[in-house]
Amino acid sequence: MKLPKLFKPFLVSAALAIGLAGCGATNQNESTEEKASAPENQEVNIYTARHYDADEAIYKKFTEETGIKVNVVKGEAEELIERLKREGESTQADLFITVDGGVLANAKKNDIFQPVSSETIDENVPENLRDADNNWIGMATRARIIAYSKERVSPEELSTYEDLTNEKWKGRLLVRSSTSLYNQSLLASFIELDGEDQAQTWAQGIVNNFARQPDGGDRDQAKAIAAGIGDIAIMNTYYVGLLANSEDAEEVKVAESIGVFFPNQETNGTHVNISGIGLTKHSKNKENATKLIEYITSVDAQEFLSANNYEFPVNPNAKKPELLDSWGEFKMQDLNFDTLGEHNKKAIEIFNKTGWK
Amino acid sequence: MKLDLIKRNLKKELNSWWIISLVGAVVILLPILFIFFTIFQEPNENWLHIRQYLLKNYVTNTILLVVLTGIFTAFLGVSLAWLIAAYDFPLRKFFRWGLLLPLSIPTFIAAYTYRTMLGYTGIIQSTLRNQYDYQINSELLSISGIRGAIFIFTMFLFPYVYMITRAFLESQSTSYIENARLLGRKPIAIFFKIVLPLARPAIVGGTVLVIFEVLGDYGVTSLLGIHTISTAIFQTWFGMYDVNSAMRLAAWLMVIIMGVFLLEKLLRQRRRYHISNKSRPLVPVKLKGIKGIGAFIYCGLVFLISFLIPFIQLIAWAKMTFNKVWDLSFITLIYQTVYLAVIATIIILIFSVIVANVCRSHSSFSFVISKIITSGYSIPGPIIAIGVLAIFISLDKWLAPFYKSIGLGEAPLILSLSLIMLVIGYFIRFMATGFNAIEVGFEKIGTKYTEASRMLGLGITKTFFKVEFPLIKGALISGFIITFVEICKELPLALLLRPFNFETLATKTYQYAHDEQIYEASISSLLIIGISILSVVLIQLLGKKVK
Repeated sequence: MKLPKLFKPFLVSAALAIGLAGCGATNQNESTEEKASAPENQEVNIYTARHYDADEAIYKKFTEETGIKVNVVKGEAEELIERLKREGESTQADLFITVDGGVLANAKKNDIFQPVSSETIDENVPENLRDADNNWIGMATRARIIAYSKERVSPEELSTYEDLTNEKWKGRLLVRSSTSLYNQSLLASFIELDGEDQAQTWAQGIVNNFARQPDGGDRDQAKAIAAGIGDIAIMNTYYVGLLANSEDAEEVKVAESIGVFFPNQETNGTHVNISGIGLTKHSKNKENATKLIEYITSVDAQEFLSANNYEFPVNPNAKKPELLDSWGEFKMQDLNFDTLGEHNKKAIEIFNKTGWK
Repeated sequence: MKLDLIKRNLKKELNSWWIISLVGAVVILLPILFIFFTIFQEPNENWLHIRQYLLKNYVTNTILLVVLTGIFTAFLGVSLAWLIAAYDFPLRKFFRWGLLLPLSIPTFIAAYTYRTMLGYTGIIQSTLRNQYDYQINSELLSISGIRGAIFIFTMFLFPYVYMITRAFLESQSTSYIENARLLGRKPIAIFFKIVLPLARPAIVGGTVLVIFEVLGDYGVTSLLGIHTISTAIFQTWFGMYDVNSAMRLAAWLMVIIMGVFLLEKLLRQRRRYHISNKSRPLVPVKLKGIKGIGAFIYCGLVFLISFLIPFIQLIAWAKMTFNKVWDLSFITLIYQTVYLAVIATIIILIFSVIVANVCRSHSSFSFVISKIITSGYSIPGPIIAIGVLAIFISLDKWLAPFYKSIGLGEAPLILSLSLIMLVIGYFIRFMATGFNAIEVGFEKIGTKYTEASRMLGLGITKTFFKVEFPLIKGALISGFIITFVEICKELPLALLLRPFNFETLATKTYQYAHDEQIYEASISSLLIIGISILSVVLIQLLGKKVK
């Protein structure tokens, strides 16, 4: 009877492992049962890098209206792309959603998308807010604007992104770290529009005008204006919206003390950051997925998203909330988003060379 | 002859405990090897760019951060452990466990909280501004750069050192300290001549955990704008879209860490640490008058900064955003968080006990195994996640014919869409926390009891349950707490490896914090803290009952 004794702990852990596997398996069975009971797989699976309550609310409304269940895995964009790549044909994901044109372009380059074809979507979203091959569809945008102190800066002094490298802003300019995707995409767009050398000169000029070393996120730049550390900041409209609608009265005051200026209106337009939805190459619920994209880009959902998440709607018929409306219409950069993905690496190299932390 | 010797050794060593250790090591090794082998791939031009512009700066920052945080946490942890183990002063009993609480606050939440609190809209500046019309220089209070990171890491990670060292001092150093006291040694001499050398394995064990945590951190360093090897890994992956160079960096990080380990092991190889006296609890000496008050103020200050202030601040924010954020789905989040953490922690502890027991034989083989088992802790979470993901997806593809035969359809992803993947991820990442605690436990009891029991005819398994288990109960408890709390707080693995529709409190916190919505993140942060505190209390009560 020596043997069984010897193997007792082994048996215990084996039992545990099997138990756990059983747990996983039963979970799986449950979900397959669910799948089976619903007619024709009434579900759609999403990998998303957008973690907003507003998005969740829209999925919920979609389910209520169509009966199609929405399953979500949230993660970091690049991780999800890696996961989709590795899953290949077996993937359960039907849609991939993320913020930033560069990332979307990279996803496209990694061949995880297929073109979406739907007249409704084509009607909902203007061509310049979709991928050139309809591999992904824009769902919301944010503009990378210049925020200025209403007290110390008059909007007449502001004109373009290029002007920010002017001597007059020395020691007055605030911007976050170059690790931020927003800054990477901004510089990538300059590489596309003005060429690599110009872009590097620009980055160098910005670094020379820093009021302080990059610190914190976009909101922190607005706060630094209010605190008098600097006078102008490159930041995202989305965060201005968050500040203005904060539960904290102090943050609302910060939002009130800054103005929003859309640069390059006379030249090549303001840089926008786009969120988009792509249909995965090996989607198993293509029809439902297309329906969801149609829903998200519809006027109703777009208005809801804009009102709750302070982003600009992509559907031109959707009304903007008051705050966003008060900023007025603006001209945006006109470029192929694929180029953002192509230049992102170069942008990082320039940041590192110019010492933009 | 030699072959015989090997055979004899094999026979001596080989038992089911060994086999399980090996299985555990293999599970951990597979994804790590997957990462490690990127070193041997042809480097691409991104790697050259990284080497040219980033590596030097990143390595310098990383070393600075690790060394300074290591020194400060060791100082804070050991001094507090010694005070509480050896002396009695006002509120000592409360501080004894209260000083563990900072562990319950995820470091990135602590960083956000302090930053916002001390920032322009924070309570200090806004009160000064609105009540006294005084605008303090914002930069003065700013928690940023290396200074800020060292502050945050030290204040919120020192309990690792404190906990392990205190447990050791309380139960194992009694006779030495009492003898020294009897022989008239001054407290300071006792501390340096006896406590420090005796508690060295415990101090090192705790500090190593802190260093791992710092090395793998992304949240704090990226928020405070410090470039470290870990942020470089992310920059390469998320910015340059180059997952291979990112893994390559991670692999080099691992090599460095292995080197540090080897060095430490070599340095202490010839010393023996177990103390074979009967373990009697150390009776604390009462500190009178000013000394007692001094001790109280020291502990109180640390407690205030590392727990109470951020805790109260989070409560205030939670109140502010409660109506906006709270809904019933938080109940599900709590359940999922606890359920997952308990399962993973139990698995980790079982393996830790088995491997630590096996590793007591001090052969070079067991050394290798113990290093493999704990190596996951030093690798940034997302990198482990990719390793695990890669292995699981291949496993699913390999099992596809089997799935098909039991009617699960063509090439489905079963394992990689189940919680098992996440649990294995935790297993790899947090074996070190469980194992280090239990290793210290085994080192404490030495081999005397085990040898006696084995000589008297009990097998290795029976010996464990009858003799060793009661002796290492304390270590098991601290191992459980640390691991459980760690898993509740864990983010990158949960983010990438979770199945559909699965959220934990940490991922919920991240959802808001990532978007600079620290106020909205406060409710889920508080729930993490609450669960952690509850686990500490429960375990303490349980421990008392068992006694």
